[in-house]
Amino acid sequence: MVSYLPVSLNEALEYRGAGGAIPYGGGTDLMIKGDKDAAYIFLHKVPEMRGIIEDDKYIRIGACCTFTEVAGNPLCPAILREAALQIAAPAIRNLGTIGGNIGNGSPKADSAPVFFAAGAKLRLMSLRAERIIPIKEFYLGRNKLSLEPDELIVEVLMPKHVSSRYYYRKVGAREALAISRVSFAGLMDIKEGRVMHCAVSFGAVSDVIIRRDDIDAMLTGKTVSEAKAVKQAYLNAYNTAITPIRGRVSEKYRKAVCMNLLGDFLAAMGI
Amino acid sequence: MNIKESVIKSDHAMKITGEAVYVADHPTDGMLFGRLLRSSKARARVLDVRLPALPDGYLYADKNDVPGANKVKIVLDDTPVFADGTVEFIGDPIGLLMGPDEDTVNRLLERIEVEYEGLPPVLSIEDSDTVFFDYTYAKGNTDKAFAEADHIFEEEFRTGLQEHAYLETNGLIARPDGGRITVHGSLQCPYYVQGAVANAMGFEPDRVQIKYDTTGGAFGGKEDYPSILAAQAAVAAYKAGKPVRVIFGRREDMEFTSKRHPSKCGYKAAVKDGRVTAMDIDVKYNAGAYTTLSKVVLQRGIICACGVYNIQNLAVRGRAYKTNTVPNGAFRGFGGPQPFFAVEMMMSHIARNLGVEPLAFKERHVAAQGDVTSTGGRFHFPVPILLMIEQVAKACNFREKREAYKNQTGTRRKGIGMSLCYHGAGFTGAGERDLIKAVAKLRKYPDNKVEVLTANTDMGQGLNTTFAKIVANELKIPMHDIIIANPDTDRVPDSGPTVASRSIMVVGELLRRAAVRLREQWADGGEQLVEERFKEPGYVIPFDLEKFQGDAYPTYSWAVNAVELEADTLTGTVKVLGAYGSFDVGTPIDRNIVTGQMEGGTMQGIGFASMERMAVDGSGKIRGNSLSDYIIPTSLDIPNLQCMLYEEEYPEGPYGAKGAGELPAVGAAGAYIEAIEQALGDVRVNHIPFTAEDAIEILHKEPSL
Amino acid sequence: MIREVVFNLNGETAVWNGGPAARLLDALRDGFRNTGVKCGCREGECGACAVILDGMLVNSCMVAMGRAGGSEVMTIEGYKKTERFAALDKSFASVSAVQCGFCTPGMVLAAECLLRENPRPDEGEIRAGISGNLCRCTGYNAIVKAISSAAKDGEGLW
Repeated sequence: MVSYLPVSLNEALEYRGAGGAIPYGGGTDLMIKGDKDAAYIFLHKVPEMRGIIEDDKYIRIGACCTFTEVAGNPLCPAILREAALQIAAPAIRNLGTIGGNIGNGSPKADSAPVFFAAGAKLRLMSLRAERIIPIKEFYLGRNKLSLEPDELIVEVLMPKHVSSRYYYRKVGAREALAISRVSFAGLMDIKEGRVMHCAVSFGAVSDVIIRRDDIDAMLTGKTVSEAKAVKQAYLNAYNTAITPIRGRVSEKYRKAVCMNLLGDFLAAMGI
Repeated sequence: MNIKESVIKSDHAMKITGEAVYVADHPTDGMLFGRLLRSSKARARVLDVRLPALPDGYLYADKNDVPGANKVKIVLDDTPVFADGTVEFIGDPIGLLMGPDEDTVNRLLERIEVEYEGLPPVLSIEDSDTVFFDYTYAKGNTDKAFAEADHIFEEEFRTGLQEHAYLETNGLIARPDGGRITVHGSLQCPYYVQGAVANAMGFEPDRVQIKYDTTGGAFGGKEDYPSILAAQAAVAAYKAGKPVRVIFGRREDMEFTSKRHPSKCGYKAAVKDGRVTAMDIDVKYNAGAYTTLSKVVLQRGIICACGVYNIQNLAVRGRAYKTNTVPNGAFRGFGGPQPFFAVEMMMSHIARNLGVEPLAFKERHVAAQGDVTSTGGRFHFPVPILLMIEQVAKACNFREKREAYKNQTGTRRKGIGMSLCYHGAGFTGAGERDLIKAVAKLRKYPDNKVEVLTANTDMGQGLNTTFAKIVANELKIPMHDIIIANPDTDRVPDSGPTVASRSIMVVGELLRRAAVRLREQWADGGEQLVEERFKEPGYVIPFDLEKFQGDAYPTYSWAVNAVELEADTLTGTVKVLGAYGSFDVGTPIDRNIVTGQMEGGTMQGIGFASMERMAVDGSGKIRGNSLSDYIIPTSLDIPNLQCMLYEEEYPEGPYGAKGAGELPAVGAAGAYIEAIEQALGDVRVNHIPFTAEDAIEILHKEPSL
Repeated sequence: MIREVVFNLNGETAVWNGGPAARLLDALRDGFRNTGVKCGCREGECGACAVILDGMLVNSCMVAMGRAGGSEVMTIEGYKKTERFAALDKSFASVSAVQCGFCTPGMVLAAECLLRENPRPDEGEIRAGISGNLCRCTGYNAIVKAISSAAKDGEGLW
């Protein structure tokens, strides 16, 4: 098997299109198995995947940006920087990439709940075509991704106007090097006493990140007092929507923590 | 030289530069890589082992290749070198595959087919029908005390598996050499390993050479285990006629090597006039599939089962049960941490039942110098616990915080707890006198350098430094004139194993006495050899192991731990705000070294109570077999760790030193859980590890609907 | 297509022919005999194999050789020759921060990477900087103290 070191996006897409080799972002997931005979496309020298830039609609984060780079870049929204800083430990953050975190497909990926809550999009490319899809459409199920065999995740597009008021919690079993038992991201905009925007997501709970625009819409457009009036119905809706799976911790624990954090998020936002 | 003052550790330079040679650092030219074929069943008869065609140079060894006894000499000899017809736990070694290329060995290993006839495994103490060891002892008249009691309280406490998680996994290299065999690598006790290899090879011990390589942590995990692995590697190397290296991967080490015994301790206590007058204690340990060290772990566990307290009437029973799980063995504290957790919680709960502050209640029961021990021995020396409580209480404002943290609301709630413990210094009972009979030597060379000859190993605890300090101090020569090479059974006498917090107290004292004699006989430019042998101190009341009567230990090291923490009621997670301890190990032979031991041990003790959880599934398989699943504290988890020393000199130890290494791992769990109980609102906790899931369950926090 | 991997190891050109998917850890230990790089887990969970790759701390078990091509790798074997190492060596020695020693080379390199980013870290920053380097012996206190005093005494080095 043959590995490649492309130095342009086009070259990377050619190797990807040829098939057989695995895209290698930071390696921090791939190298756990560390198959000596694996063939990789090392993507760290692809300039189109390394930048963090701003355009008129998005903060465009190259898929090969590391967590350290994201955490230290003021263009990235605070909630994303905070989530990135809580990942593992420095040596892992220095290698691990945003694209790899997403492409790994795990619901425990620490950056994913933030991207879900923020309504981020992914720019996927192959030699054939380019697609820009909401991150929610990327995750199809447990370890099932909307990614064609010739496609690469090139960029994550974060909407520029992510709510300044946010709530992020990663629940792990220790203060560093922790795997999320539950993670929660919440964003809310309240202007002149009215909820302009509300988005929450739950990670590490189910096969994919839980993000329900339909439930969050219950609060959107409401005044704070109206929102308070529907708070119970909102919580009830999530209580039904969250169906945790068993993993390192029980379903019951995950559910209880999700609901506690959701309640705390609302309280922190004044609802 | 002030013996307490810290010096640069003698192993510092070689370790910080990366030059120290651990077992995996030896060149592998001409060496075979060995991997154990392990049982995938918890309990089964092995009907057939079918090997794939082995390429040239690849070999398989099993029970049929063991030239001596297919038994590993530990305490009893029930552990087979390789499975003989049956397997008793998942991972039980059946054979060893070896060859010149590691990847090829791994691939071939996966192709070996083993045919089993499965038997239903026994996985818990409750289901076990085999009691390996069953001891009872008593003091006073418990029947009378219970009959006259104002109150009787009864509770049960459980503790879980704890994994050593030394940073360097187990690993050894065996080298055949003419009619002899050499085994070297990561180990605590060269002469234990020599005995085991000689037994398996059918050799006289002088045909077996065991050499210590710099070892990356052990904590008891390399006390008995290397005897098993060395026997296997030696048999394999002998068959191959080539050196064989077996070094475990992290998952293999976590899943298949010894751990701390899970326990279930039943406590029944009689209270009369506000005092505990009697305890009836039932200690049960899950020993795993073979006895290994369970006999002696259990002995230590039941002797300390009533804690630091003077309980007039005592009935104690202890049993170690066979289960089809990995054999549990030595782990820093050696059977002590389990009952100390139980008795500390029991005393705390009794106090709360009676409506008094636990600490004040405990203080009323603390034993004093001259009191009779649980086994009818004496606390011959001062018991400084009450003074140490004040030292810790002052450091953390214990009593004020304990009061302030009552009746909290909100999502972040604090708690503080304190626990008391001791560790009997050295071997239990007459082991030192009757079994070990330690010998230590000093050899002086013509250039006036002096070599320390003992079998004791420096696994990081600083022994090479502290031994050298003692000898240099008596000889009044510079430290750099003291030579301590890695122990090699061809060169050093059997000064006993590096276990039981005995090395400084026992062997250190032998070296001090040897140094005194050498100083007296010193002949400049000559070569001299001085030898010292262990003598039991005259005041010791001989211990009778049949009756559990007498002085179980020559003296005791004491500790007081306090833990302050904050629980998050939304997530059940807990942040340790501070961990405080006072430790009496007698005179510290180097303050930095002793403090470092206390800090590291305390962290292990808190890990034991909190995050260190190892699950076994219904088939008997250990689930948390990686460092991401079985987690240990990082630098961020116990940020405010303050360990203080209290120096109650022990006249029989060198300069007043007594047992140190294990003490800090014994008692912290009780303090942690007492703090948890307070933070969560005066709840009762009867098990460790206590996890975020447990906290949420206790809080009965329904989704905040 | 990657045929051989050329990188810089401790200031010298190194050529690796053992394939681009091999772990940097194994290449360093077995290929280049930098045995100061310790192997504790091979899963990125312990930090014993930490090295400096193009100025940043990485776990060498988490790096495929193809990723290291063209990079500068520094292990303890190279770092021990530096003035900064001398400062850390002295401070680790003065508080006996080395016990079993297995985490030590990785810990020292973690300290170096922390200090080059932040020459005067407070205690919390030191603890965060070494949070991926497990130590089972010391309880971390002595290591934290050592790094703190190296930062003070080594004024100007970082």
